[in-house]
Amino acid sequence: MGNKDETSGNKHSLSKGASLTADPWEAALHKVAESADRSAFQALFEHFAPQIKAFLMKGMSSYADRSQAEEMTQEVMIKVWNKAASFNASKASVNTWIFTIARNTRIDFIRRNTRAERKIEIEDIWHEADSPEPIVDFQQRRVEVEIRNAMSTLPGEQALVLEKAFMENKSHNEIAEELDLPLGTVKSRIRLALNKLQILIDR
Amino acid sequence: MISYHPDSRFLTDFASANLPMAQAMCVSAHLEFCGKCRAHVQQLKEVGGHLLSQIPPVAVEAGSFEQLMSKISEPQSAPVASSLEARTIAPKSAKETYLPRSVRRLSNGSLQNLGWAQFGKALRIAPLPIAGETLETSIYDIKAGGQMPEHEHRGEEITVLLKGSFSDADGTYSRGDFVVRNAGETHQPTATQDTDCICLVCLERPVRPRGWLYRLLEPYMQYRLHSLKRAATAS
Ligand SMILES: [Zn+2]
Repeated sequence: MGNKDETSGNKHSLSKGASLTADPWEAALHKVAESADRSAFQALFEHFAPQIKAFLMKGMSSYADRSQAEEMTQEVMIKVWNKAASFNASKASVNTWIFTIARNTRIDFIRRNTRAERKIEIEDIWHEADSPEPIVDFQQRRVEVEIRNAMSTLPGEQALVLEKAFMENKSHNEIAEELDLPLGTVKSRIRLALNKLQILIDR
Repeated sequence: MISYHPDSRFLTDFASANLPMAQAMCVSAHLEFCGKCRAHVQQLKEVGGHLLSQIPPVAVEAGSFEQLMSKISEPQSAPVASSLEARTIAPKSAKETYLPRSVRRLSNGSLQNLGWAQFGKALRIAPLPIAGETLETSIYDIKAGGQMPEHEHRGEEITVLLKGSFSDADGTYSRGDFVVRNAGETHQPTATQDTDCICLVCLERPVRPRGWLYRLLEPYMQYRLHSLKRAATAS
């Protein structure tokens, strides 16, 4: 009993169980979707709007007056309100769902403020709702818990490159330039970090 | 079966939305064929979601929520919500369901709507102009068994196979494959005998010499593609 094999064999089901109770914002989002619940939406707003605003300000400094971050935050929250019914708890956490909406709003904003292509819709490329794949979904929620736990154990230099990529809106090339590192070093730091988070991309 | 996938750099830069739109189109096209990479992108978005939850928050302005609710109760904000799926362009015929969403958009649902330039018997190319991009994006259509002229890459080239298959000295590529060639690599792709091969190609083209050598090399091809591109941008 309690031998090594049994412990590792239980890993999946334990992680999965944990993920199902981990997200306190799912209920609020469901209330918004089902009954346009204003107070649930206000709770979501109070929690997420300041994060969204911080995210937008980090990523668009070179494109815009930061005062526009306030208006864009509202734009993101309007989408949260409008799309609440399309949220699928088996695919992603509320954090991730909101990150995706904020990310797409940011690309759209940058596009509106540059001479970029307008014919194509952001969601033609960055699809918000991909086709469901049951096997993938299961692994998905397991990975999410692992990501949360493993993120705090990353060495500083690995956490930094992830932060720059996802929050500061920087490509591998831009990170390499900013940190004065070879592109290969940035790539391997990100790969090492992803491996620790159990995101195992072949190359 | 898909054997060639975008690497961690492409997938990370895609998930964090830091790729030029033309390259993002190529990754996105691959994702429509590849569940494995879709799952990776989903995982990478979880990284984004987690980092978002850890960000030091910046307070919104006083009255922001009330202002937001007044926008939401305005009638014009409602239709935006339901149109997400309706906004995608349907393929014009069942034969073209393999086209990725972005290509459907830029071609209004059919490759026949694009302007094509024919090069020899085996190859035709339709530029997909993407405003504000320095990368050149095109659809290549290689006839079954046809061979492309041997060419050297001047910059990074991404090819996503949308239909059929082709091979070169390094391997055989089939539907969904995401193939990257770097500057200086030379190859001569040949389409498989039994079916035409359709590819989405995104080419990084450094500024090239305008001297006599350049003009001698491929003037007709460049001229044709250029005028097609201009026509498409103007329409
Ligand atoms: Zn793949």
